[in-house]
Amino acid sequence: MITQILSNFGVTWPHFIAQTLLFLIALYVLSRYAYAPILNILEERRKRIEEGQLNAEKIKKQLAEAELRYQEVLRKANDDAQILVEESRKNNEAFSQREMDRAVKESAAIVDRARAEIASERVRMVDEVKREMVSLVIKTTASVAGKVLTQDDQKRLTEEAQKSLAA
Amino acid sequence: MVLTLPILASAALSAETPAVFENSFLAWLTNSIFVTAIVVGVIVWIVRSCTRKLELIPGAGQNFLEAVVEGAYGAAESILGDKMTRKAFPLLATLFIFILMSNWFGLLPGVGSIGWGVKEGFLSLKEMEVPLLRATTADLNMTFALAAVSMILWFYWTMRVTGPVGFIKELFGVKGGMSGPILLFLVPLFLFIGLLEVVSILVRPISLSFRLYGNISAGENMMGTMINIGNMFHCPHWLTAVLSVIVPIPFYFLELLVGFLQAMIFTVLVVVYLQLSTTHEEH
Repeated sequence: MITQILSNFGVTWPHFIAQTLLFLIALYVLSRYAYAPILNILEERRKRIEEGQLNAEKIKKQLAEAELRYQEVLRKANDDAQILVEESRKNNEAFSQREMDRAVKESAAIVDRARAEIASERVRMVDEVKREMVSLVIKTTASVAGKVLTQDDQKRLTEEAQKSLAA
Repeated sequence: MVLTLPILASAALSAETPAVFENSFLAWLTNSIFVTAIVVGVIVWIVRSCTRKLELIPGAGQNFLEAVVEGAYGAAESILGDKMTRKAFPLLATLFIFILMSNWFGLLPGVGSIGWGVKEGFLSLKEMEVPLLRATTADLNMTFALAAVSMILWFYWTMRVTGPVGFIKELFGVKGGMSGPILLFLVPLFLFIGLLEVVSILVRPISLSFRLYGNISAGENMMGTMINIGNMFHCPHWLTAVLSVIVPIPFYFLELLVGFLQAMIFTVLVVVYLQLSTTHEEH
């Protein structure tokens, strides 16, 4: 009965074997040239993606570390700059103070010198005025008295004039 | 009913050898074997053209093939697990691709409508006797071949995973970890269940092959009926021509779907058979 059924549907060994062989050829070709290489390349791509993700993580970590180092360097540079500015400010203040002191001293010395010069000039002028006055007194006395004054007279008149000028 | 008789009569149950080859060494070359050879040739050509230069950054052809392979592999892996999928994937994917292409090839214009028969005018037949091309999955030899290859490999892989003793235990053994006097009742019961299981395994090649063959043959018959619907109702010649073009269009879409579904069903059933007999060993 089974043979009869199979015969009705045209199932024969040669046809069955031919169809089986053709299917096995398709199976071999697809396995050899499609599935194996494609699965390999998919696996390779998966590995590449994994490596890429790992590298990206590593780079991200390195970037974060670099950012931290950058922040640290920046903070240190800021501190150093602050110290330099502070030192510079202090130096500047000290320099200014020194210069001011020096200027004050110099000006004080100038004033002192000027005062001394003024004083000596005054003394010199007073002396000169006194000498002029003594000379004038002697000349005037000689004119008024109508005589030539002796050395003693001149000396006495000079001393008297000097006394009265000093008073 | 009378009207449909010529149509049914024209749709042969089996593949046929053209009369010109009948008494030659090519007598084995039926119209469906010829189509199988074409389908295999097309598959080989597509695969070689897509995989001739595989690159990490794929072109359009490689990308398409990768999508098919990756999708099929993922689907099989979700049912069979990684270990079994590595072994069975080539068979499963080839079954799906081959059956799908064979089913859809049968829908091409000219398949079943060009051939030898009773002449009626120039390049025209009154009745088709032997078509030049016949859908290969509408030949029971082909569907039997597919089922036989699938079941032989299923048996081989099952034996590799479970071993003969494990396989027999799996068929006839008492499940559920029962022990004690209750086994006196359970052992005969499970022996009977095992016998039913053996019968179901033996029937699998028949059910697989006849399901595919029946669906595709029925589809071919239906398409033939739709194309000849004008003749069935004795319509005028011009109306018959118009109807033969318009009426089959929705059925083409139906047959495209049936072709895909039958490829899917055949493959999924083989996957399920493998899963039933092998995957519990992986846990």
